[in-house]
Amino acid sequence: MPLVAAAVFAVVLPLILVAFVLYTTYNAVVAMQQRIDKAWANIEVSLEQRHDELPNLVEAVRDVMAYEQDVLERVTTARSAYSPSEPVARQGAVSAETSSAIRSLFAVVERYPQLRSADNVAALQAEIQRLEGLIADRRELYNDSVYRYNTTIAQIPANMVAGLFGWRPREFFAAEPGAANPPDATLRPGPSPT
Amino acid sequence: MGVAAVTPSQFVGLAVLGLLAGLGLFGRGLLAYRRRSLVSGIATSRIASLAAGEVRVSGTVRAAAVTLVSPLQSRPCVYFRSRVVETFGRERRTVLAEERGVDFLVDDGSGQVHVFPRAARFDLPARFADRDGALGDAPAGLQPNAGPEIALAAPDREAAIADLLTVHQPAAIDRGSAGLGGAGVLTGLGGGRREYSELRLEPGDVVTVIGTALPFADLPDPANADRVDGPLGALADPEIAADLEAARAAGTLVGDPQAAWGNAAIEGFGIGQPVRAPVLDPAATPEPVAPPATDSAARGRFEIAPDALVLASGPTTPLAILAGSPGEAAGRAEDAFLLGLAGAVLAIASAVVLALSLSPIR
Repeated sequence: MPLVAAAVFAVVLPLILVAFVLYTTYNAVVAMQQRIDKAWANIEVSLEQRHDELPNLVEAVRDVMAYEQDVLERVTTARSAYSPSEPVARQGAVSAETSSAIRSLFAVVERYPQLRSADNVAALQAEIQRLEGLIADRRELYNDSVYRYNTTIAQIPANMVAGLFGWRPREFFAAEPGAANPPDATLRPGPSPT
Repeated sequence: MGVAAVTPSQFVGLAVLGLLAGLGLFGRGLLAYRRRSLVSGIATSRIASLAAGEVRVSGTVRAAAVTLVSPLQSRPCVYFRSRVVETFGRERRTVLAEERGVDFLVDDGSGQVHVFPRAARFDLPARFADRDGALGDAPAGLQPNAGPEIALAAPDREAAIADLLTVHQPAAIDRGSAGLGGAGVLTGLGGGRREYSELRLEPGDVVTVIGTALPFADLPDPANADRVDGPLGALADPEIAADLEAARAAGTLVGDPQAAWGNAAIEGFGIGQPVRAPVLDPAATPEPVAPPATDSAARGRFEIAPDALVLASGPTTPLAILAGSPGEAAGRAEDAFLLGLAGAVLAIASAVVLALSLSPIR
């Protein structure tokens, strides 16, 4: 009888281990999905705020920067491309393009002393810079959360049940415009000396 | 004749011991696995862009308003768990078991966030673990605290200069009179060998905190959120609760701190810098009122804006405070899990040995 009890014990203990690991893994993966959704929601809030602030900045500088229409146009176009219903990767590309356009705008504003000294422009610039920093930090947090989730569901033991529960890898929020298409760094021959 | 008849009883005892130890390690290993899942499943947030909700931050511990003084080594810290166990032959007696914490700041370079450690789970390595020598001599690292149990986080300039110019005599480790936090717990029996252990979290330590970020005003009980032991403590004592009830019934309890405590209710009075003039006996020497700059500095140290995000235990995420970077904390949990697996093997092997010992030979 004691031997039977020992045999049952030797089987039950590993079963408890397996059940506990699966239970913990399932809960951990569900929690990660929730964290990714929350991180994305926080990014959306910041994107929305930036989307709302940009027209104010463009309006404030438009008259003085009459000869910089291409820069203003780029900001306006990038802003109008924003759509919360687009897939994450597409939104990432649009956001990065908007950030790039804003950086160009800020660089041009620096050339206009009357704009630099205007309180409303300075305040709008500060607010948009704050939002840019916030978006960058939250993008990093979102991408790190996605990385952890994607790694977990690809590893043992989660990968054994990923299909059963329909766990699929999530998309990253793109870092920079054209990150998927790196700049052409090929050295081309110059004009041949005559 | 059965196997048990030829097996010494100590052999069975060892098997039982192995079974229990293995199960204990196994249980701890499972908890460590869950902790590892939690630590490695959350990305680190930058404090400057902290969003409300479940977060993980990592950075350096900074003292907020006050620090504690640890009982066994008199070190400034924001959390300690100290334990002294005395052994007389086969008898063991816990002489001291004390755990305290205060709110502190975590600084990750981008900003600072207040952490309120009430109901927190700590995972810290022991900073001091030693025992008395063979002749009963105290270990070299033991420096019982015979002074105040808390200190201001950043003493003012005059106090720092005065402390620097004071000759401090090394504390004599008198087992009959050492204070140990004013509790006098080292007094008493003597003769037994003592084991000392102290876990601490000190300003300057790197720490990983997982918890809920929420506005300070949303803390369920801001006044007690910095207490590790919760607000109940003495109130849980039925005798004290009965006394309080009787005092309420008799109308001797007052709700206004000013009425109850008089001048002591004035902010800064206890440190000799009241923010408004106290009511004094005309014959007494008047207390100088703190200048506005000191008042402002004191308020800045002790007051937290209602909408400032702080870290505390949440309804779904209990606060976890782990020593080291997230990688180090996860590594410790993984080691504990592997030890738990070894414990499972030990438990199974012990169970088999026990069964063989108790089974009759056919």
